[in-house]
Amino acid sequence: MSFLDSLMLGLSMVANIESFLALGIGVAVGVIAGAIPGMSATMAVALTLPFTFALQPITGILLLLGVYKGGIFGGSIPAILIKTPGTPASSATVLDGYPLAEKGQAGKALGMALWASCTADLISNLALILFAGFLASFALNFGPPEFFTLMLFSLTIIAGVSGESLLRGALSAMLGLLLATVGLDLIYGTNRFTFGDANLMGGLNFIAVLIGLFAIPEIIAMVWNPKAFDGQKRAMGKSWVEFSEYRRCFKSIVRGSFIGVILGAIPGIGAAPSAFLSYSEARRTSPNKANFGKGELEGVAAAEAGNNGVAGATLIPLLALGIPGDVITAIIIGAFMIHGLQPGPMMFVINADIIYALFIGLIVSSVFLFFVGSVAIHGFKYVADIPRGVLFPSVLVLCIFGVFAVNNSIFDVGVMFAMGWVGYFMLRYRIPAAPFLIAFILGPLLEDNFRQAMLMSGSSPAILFRGPITWFFWTLTAITVFAIIRAGIRATRQHRALRTANQA
Amino acid sequence: MHDRTIQLQLGIGAIIAAAFLLLVAIPTWVSSPSNVPNIILSPLFWPWVLAGLTAITGLAMVLTSIREPRPAEPAISEIDDKPRAWGRLASIAAVMVVAMVLMPRIGMVWTAMLVFVATAYLVRTSHPKTALVSAVVIPLVLYAFFAHVAGVAIPQGDFVRLP
Repeated sequence: MSFLDSLMLGLSMVANIESFLALGIGVAVGVIAGAIPGMSATMAVALTLPFTFALQPITGILLLLGVYKGGIFGGSIPAILIKTPGTPASSATVLDGYPLAEKGQAGKALGMALWASCTADLISNLALILFAGFLASFALNFGPPEFFTLMLFSLTIIAGVSGESLLRGALSAMLGLLLATVGLDLIYGTNRFTFGDANLMGGLNFIAVLIGLFAIPEIIAMVWNPKAFDGQKRAMGKSWVEFSEYRRCFKSIVRGSFIGVILGAIPGIGAAPSAFLSYSEARRTSPNKANFGKGELEGVAAAEAGNNGVAGATLIPLLALGIPGDVITAIIIGAFMIHGLQPGPMMFVINADIIYALFIGLIVSSVFLFFVGSVAIHGFKYVADIPRGVLFPSVLVLCIFGVFAVNNSIFDVGVMFAMGWVGYFMLRYRIPAAPFLIAFILGPLLEDNFRQAMLMSGSSPAILFRGPITWFFWTLTAITVFAIIRAGIRATRQHRALRTANQA
Repeated sequence: MHDRTIQLQLGIGAIIAAAFLLLVAIPTWVSSPSNVPNIILSPLFWPWVLAGLTAITGLAMVLTSIREPRPAEPAISEIDDKPRAWGRLASIAAVMVVAMVLMPRIGMVWTAMLVFVATAYLVRTSHPKTALVSAVVIPLVLYAFFAHVAGVAIPQGDFVRLP
């Protein structure tokens, strides 16, 4: 069957009302689920899976892909409006989205999030179509030493999200890395800071830590000083982003999309590190660098481009090699199998029509995301008008239900409360929370890959320099560390010069 | 509180935390098998590295704080009614502890209602009637969704059970 035949067959499978309806419903369900804190895109995809049993394979898979894509965007809505990321992937969106909402520009931030998400989604889908085979084979070459150097490089993004003090960012990261060590040791199975409690053996639940760190401190801060929030109703402001603003952020969106594509194609990394890396790169290169973290539209665009750029790319190893790139694609692979399909290289030969139907469906999903997202923004904007004295208790109750629902665990609710106090302490002492979260995500990956590499080599560090991929990441890390030190020295000099001028 | 004071306090805190980790926490609460061939592979290695790095970070913070001059403007703005603010802070902490105790006993929905009312009171809501209605409606709606749509086994407690 020729390429054109496959393409036409694929088109005929998608160009029907059932497929469009499945995509539309999927995106809508995903956006709503993503917008509810604690109801992650993963949970929404898992809950939708049983509904696909009765559908045609392509219709069912498109429904799940719609939920996935909608869920990733939906997470940005509460991240911007109530500083509670709906999904871990939208943690980076909080950094500038929420300050924009506080300035009365929530509508603008949401609009930019939608535009950036749709652009990144489209780029990611095109990358999937064009580079599926090539990128997946590149990622297959990664072993523990390559992953270790990649994680080490990824940790340098902490510098980009440390705000005014690199040392406080480093301290925050240390705390995140230390908390990530809680649980059973993955190689020897011995206890580390579990205090004999079975609940701690699996480590601290990521969602509980995430919500505790980002949502609860705001509630505690309002309890500490309710007057500070008097009259601070966050207006939506201009409800749509202007094209000139989109054009200004376009470079960051495209760069973020490609970061998402590359990291998404590597199994196991996921959308959150991609969003933070994209955000950090945008901050590093932006002329408005100083405004990042205080409500910079480009920050929202970069973070959303980073996390949505992953959505299409995670399907590259799934379709080309049959390897799920993350938890959600692991659920989607189940849907393929239920319908008697085996993702992998042979699928491109045996079921090429389905592959092309999926490609076309994914492109259409970007358009659906734009329209459903627009409606969702206007629906959820009313959250901004809710009095804070009612909104904050509602958020607290929502967090309790949401965190419990992840593992059916009251213990996780306790972890969320405890992390809320840690987050409040960090807020009060101006310690940035983002490095904590990045370190908490990357810490276990860094340690596990390091130890696996050492096991492979009989504890010889030479394995960490074994090939071009490791050297590539070592070079990138060295360049970034050099740039951080140089920027730090420059900032100190400028600070001193300013102080001297003030004293004079 | 001034920025310099914060930096100094954080630095000292980090050094104390690192010392506690190295001397007490890691030897007591991290176990390692006796047959580990190399220290690099031991479960103790990573916590040690992190404790060391925390100490270095703390030391750097103390040194930078000493070099910083005292600025005129405080970094953390103080509030007028401090004793009451501390009282509210203690109250929200108590609400969280009580919620953890009540959740398995009276159920998540009723606990959430009480948490809602207590939090609304502590944040001095200007819409008490709306808050009271929301305190009843929101937990019930969330229960209906999570229990009946998402299939989550929400704790029901020992007294009043919901359908």
